[in-house]
Amino acid sequence: MTLVLKGVMQSPVTPLKNDFSPDYETFERLVDFHVRTGATAISWPHHKAESHNLTIAERKALGEVAIKAVNKRVPVSIHVSALALEDTFDLARHAQKKGADAIIAITPYFWKYPPEAIYDYFVKLGTSFDLPLIAYNSPSYLDGIEFTGELTARLIQRLPNFIGMKEASFNSEKFFEILRAAQRLRSTFAMIVGVEYLLPSVSLGGAGSYSSAGAICPNLCIELYESCIAGDWDRARAAQYKLSELWLLFRDQYPSSLKGGCVIMGRPVGPTRPPLPTASPERVKFIEKRLIELGIVDSEPHGW
Amino acid sequence: MAGDRKDNTVSDFKFGLTHAPLTPFVHDRIDHDTYRKVIDFHLRNRAEGLALPMHAGESVSLTAEERKALAEFAIKQVAGRVPVIINVSEAGTAIASSLAAHARKAGATALICSVPYYWTPPQSMLVEHFATIGQAGGLPFFVLNSPSEFSEVEFASKSVVELLGKLPHFAGLVDMSLDWQYMIEVVTVARAVRPDFQLVSGNEYMISAGAIGATGMLSSLASVSPKLVRELYDLCRAQDYKAARAPQEDAAILFRLFRDAGPAGLKAAAKTMGRDCGAPRQPLQTLPDGAARALAAKISNVGSVKGEPRGWA
Repeated sequence: MTLVLKGVMQSPVTPLKNDFSPDYETFERLVDFHVRTGATAISWPHHKAESHNLTIAERKALGEVAIKAVNKRVPVSIHVSALALEDTFDLARHAQKKGADAIIAITPYFWKYPPEAIYDYFVKLGTSFDLPLIAYNSPSYLDGIEFTGELTARLIQRLPNFIGMKEASFNSEKFFEILRAAQRLRSTFAMIVGVEYLLPSVSLGGAGSYSSAGAICPNLCIELYESCIAGDWDRARAAQYKLSELWLLFRDQYPSSLKGGCVIMGRPVGPTRPPLPTASPERVKFIEKRLIELGIVDSEPHGW
Repeated sequence: MAGDRKDNTVSDFKFGLTHAPLTPFVHDRIDHDTYRKVIDFHLRNRAEGLALPMHAGESVSLTAEERKALAEFAIKQVAGRVPVIINVSEAGTAIASSLAAHARKAGATALICSVPYYWTPPQSMLVEHFATIGQAGGLPFFVLNSPSEFSEVEFASKSVVELLGKLPHFAGLVDMSLDWQYMIEVVTVARAVRPDFQLVSGNEYMISAGAIGATGMLSSLASVSPKLVRELYDLCRAQDYKAARAPQEDAAILFRLFRDAGPAGLKAAAKTMGRDCGAPRQPLQTLPDGAARALAAKISNVGSVKGEPRGWA
């Protein structure tokens, strides 16, 4: 259980063929690209990987590809959240069997339920498997369903394998409240910010990020993390401002625009499954213009 | 456009560590004797500026006449030792504008203004509201962004840019949203237009705000913990965020206690620390004894509070 999560961790998108079927070969390449360009861990399939639009069978098959492609160079966590909790447990069982290093799960989707229900769910998930467990907090996407410091502390006391949280509130108070409560009980507990808001989170004690733009600009992501760790805050601010502009560019029609950006960087990953749109040629042109303006095209790797 | 006035140009005034004092009442009237002590307490405890009356100073429960009198009194009492920033937030543009014009005449250094109370106007109306008030005041002008207190109305980053085009005195934004996406977006777009645009943390989560680029902090906790607030601010301005973590923890605990308890809680706490500012004005109510004792117990568990000043010293 000595899994240390820190630095810029990548959660790859899911490459698709033109008929929207999974493109296993490109997926393998993409995972390998992330590891070669400095990912400290791989985590798949987050929502940007269109987890909701993949069948359970596809998630299992692609998960195996990811684990094999990484080949133990860095830890791999599998995101097991699905609409039906039966599927979640099925995905977790599969991840454990296939050699994943951890599982990650968001608070259950759709329903409105009290904090006690979140507690029960994570206790069940955490005690059913031997793998380290990472929780995922996203209050704005899940309409206020969220972890509090108190709830996190109770889960840490109950679950020795609860090692970290992906936190995507992007809010000082919420982030720090969970961090404070957690690290008092488990000093190694890793607070990992969702997308690249590393400047405000690492300064508060955060461990790293699950990257959004890693498939586009791995160098910039790592520059931001390293300058935060080195306490070079001027450099960190410059990198953060640029990454924030990229996030605003990609957040619109996420992850369609991100996949559109991959085309520009010479790493095409195919269309996006409906109901999400696929970036139109005009949209791709616009993204290209922004990537050139922001200096990304010149400073980041092109092709695989 | 920008820079066409010589007096109080935007770049002259730096927000720094500004305290938001309580407004003391006696028999439901502003208690001037105590207010004098309040002001001197903040200055002795190293406030670099005073912003008044903020919500912690029960601004919304004061009449426009009282607010004007309060501004005059405070400015006279401060006597130029630090800048005084007058809060002109109001529901109506004209009333706010008259407060702004008055503040300038009374000798205020800068103005601070929230989105209008009660209404939930679209962005274009917000820009007009601020432009009108800012022009009436002719002083460095700060927008207070606090969506959780204003039905989630936020002053959008594109509106910040629009207002910069209309109001040469628009000096900065005081953020209470604690929202990283928002703060970064605002500094990015605003500083592209005006490099000295100030981001000010409107509460005591100074580490993240400071890392993002905030250069000032507005503190209502200063009524209880001025030393803590000063230590946190200084460490964050020095960008020593590791050392700032400990004071940030105490500030976070206190922030959450007082967010729930409001000005009534601040007044109860100030009283237990030997600075009785009287009862809050209706509709706020004095904390019942039990609640005040429970709050005092929670506060005394916060390590740094032991080192804070008692009485008016």
